[in-house]
Amino acid sequence: MNFRKLMASTAMAATMATTAVADGHGWSLKEAAAPYAGTTVDVVFLLRPGYEAIEAMLPAFEEETGIKINIIKHPYENALGEQVRDFVAGGDLDIALIDLVWIGNFAENDWILPLADVQAKFPDAVDPDLDIDDFFPLVLNAFGGWNETLYGLPFDNYSGLMFYNSCMLKEAGFDGPPETWQQLKDEYGPALTKDGKYAFALQSKRNETQSADSFARVLWPFGGSFLNDEFKSNLLSEESQAGLQFRQDLMQYMPDGIVAYDHAETVNGFAQGDIAMITEWSAFYSTVVSPETSTVADCVEIAPEPMGPAGRKPALGGFSLAVAAQADDAEQAAAYLFIQWATSKANAREYLERGGVPARQSVYVEDGLEDFKFVPALVESWQDGVPEFRPRFAEWPEITEIVQEWGTKMMLGEVTTVEGAEEIGTRMEAVLEEAGYYSGEKPMAQ
Amino acid sequence: MRGKVSRRTIFAFIGPAVIGLAMVGIAPLLYALWTSLHFFNLTKLKKVKFIGFENYWTVLTDEVFWQAMGRTMFLLGTALPLQLALGLGIALVLHQPGLTLIKTLARLSLVLPMATTYAVVGLLGQVMFNQKFGVVNQLMGGANINWIGDPENAFVMIVFWDVWQWTPFVALVLLAGLTMVPGEIEEAARLETTSKWTVLRYVQLPFLIPGLVAVLILRTADTLKLFDMVFTLTRGGPGSSTEFISLMIQRVGFRGFDQGLASAQAIILLIITIILAQIYIRVFYKEVN
Repeated sequence: MNFRKLMASTAMAATMATTAVADGHGWSLKEAAAPYAGTTVDVVFLLRPGYEAIEAMLPAFEEETGIKINIIKHPYENALGEQVRDFVAGGDLDIALIDLVWIGNFAENDWILPLADVQAKFPDAVDPDLDIDDFFPLVLNAFGGWNETLYGLPFDNYSGLMFYNSCMLKEAGFDGPPETWQQLKDEYGPALTKDGKYAFALQSKRNETQSADSFARVLWPFGGSFLNDEFKSNLLSEESQAGLQFRQDLMQYMPDGIVAYDHAETVNGFAQGDIAMITEWSAFYSTVVSPETSTVADCVEIAPEPMGPAGRKPALGGFSLAVAAQADDAEQAAAYLFIQWATSKANAREYLERGGVPARQSVYVEDGLEDFKFVPALVESWQDGVPEFRPRFAEWPEITEIVQEWGTKMMLGEVTTVEGAEEIGTRMEAVLEEAGYYSGEKPMAQ
Repeated sequence: MRGKVSRRTIFAFIGPAVIGLAMVGIAPLLYALWTSLHFFNLTKLKKVKFIGFENYWTVLTDEVFWQAMGRTMFLLGTALPLQLALGLGIALVLHQPGLTLIKTLARLSLVLPMATTYAVVGLLGQVMFNQKFGVVNQLMGGANINWIGDPENAFVMIVFWDVWQWTPFVALVLLAGLTMVPGEIEEAARLETTSKWTVLRYVQLPFLIPGLVAVLILRTADTLKLFDMVFTLTRGGPGSSTEFISLMIQRVGFRGFDQGLASAQAIILLIITIILAQIYIRVFYKEVN
């Protein structure tokens, strides 16, 4: 992705916002929404804390605007399929909820509208305080941008963090969490794995968790990646193999059956005091620090993910909201108003306090955030993240299935890391060949 | 009588059912056939094109497809004999005279597993077979068996749930078959011999054959289509240990969005099911006079 061009597109969006001020019109959400009162906006939400947070805030928006937000809830695993079918069939969805790895797919199929187009179409809906530059650039670029165009605004934002049980670590003689992955394996692993407790758990269930949370997590810090500059598999490189082999070696300090662990099992294992450290999304913070869902709430501390030989390179994931092309004009305007409101600077603090993770830089410099222990680690992670942590092109849904299958087989010892990498590489390149990357039909953007 | 009913009346009565069946059953099948002959990916609809039998060739030469098919057949070969043996045992017990109230209650309770939604069975399994908190390990004296995360144990778990859910169906069908045996013949046979096996083999079994063939066909088709329970319980994992053929088709069609390839897989599965059904009918089925 050409970052400068994306920033140009972003600047256009920002210009649209400031035009409203230059015109001298006082702007209010109520007045901007008045023509669209009574409109119903359909959107898919996930069953996660960030969505519960915005849902709790929703009555204020609906009361002020008269716009009804119809939420259709799905678990993550179903969200892509449900949305794809809806867009293919010309269904009801007015907003697309886009995981960062879906954005290439949604944009290339013209299911979503560029933000600048929406703002140009509905200039009166643009909040002069939108302040697009206030979003973390990495997050805005990775979650909302594709092929030099900005489509969505970051809504449910994650970075991989290390959650650790400071009580267990202290008992084992450690003052703090490991700085490097190597330390985690060589020092913390043996000391903390005993009496039915485990030092670490790397959620590795055969779904997106395997690709994103497990496989990719050990590639990048060791200097590996999915693809090289020629868009060929890089999984057999020395660095990628080092990462994948490291995962195999680390498994001895994880619970049995870690390949069946999804986020729920991992977070619960940590929250019940059975696991000393996990690397999880920031979105699960509220679960592990709430006494209602965690028996170790008082012991929970947060750190950035450990570093590998290539640096920290933490997992990056999250969702943006974009206006759906299939919606009619009133729905598009109403959808834009909702997206703008949900991701606004003004609402970021409340969203954070209710369990969401906003991508606004301004909120994290405010006073009184001491209770949110994840903030420093999160901000640091968003400086070191890799936008293409998982390639974001349209072919990812096919490739992730391959990674999930063979990544799990590696962990189970059914194939070696080399055999698995060869299989993934061959199949991944076949998908990319079919898509037209090698013939020059498609630009090598990820 | 036949001459008095006009052709129009016959069509009026039968037509709606035929049209309904065609719309619900035949039209989707024809559509699947059409997509199976095309490159048809939901996320690449601009590239839809006719590719002949390429999808079929891909399926037939795909090692992963045949591994999933082998796994499905192994499940069928493991679960079905257990269901037949246990189902027959239950049917024979319930066929004994006396204890009417208890037998009625037993029949009613047999319906419960069948009436439980597949997906709910899978979710129940997740909780009950949880390594740490699950009731199954607790009942086994606090065993520490990793059911869901171990490839072999996960397969055993699927067999267990399939047997739990569908043995009652087999029992009820066979019980219905046993009630078809004329009382006087059964009574005469019992006067001739005290061997329960002889009575079963030569008197009761002929009446059970139609039911058994129906069970074989239905359970085979069901096992080949088995999806919901496995999806919610293991999602095909760990690794590919419980990725049965229907899960693979769903993965290709709805997670990889390659509807063309998934349709070809589904049509090949349909052909295999029809062939198996024909084999059952030819080998086992005999009219009972």
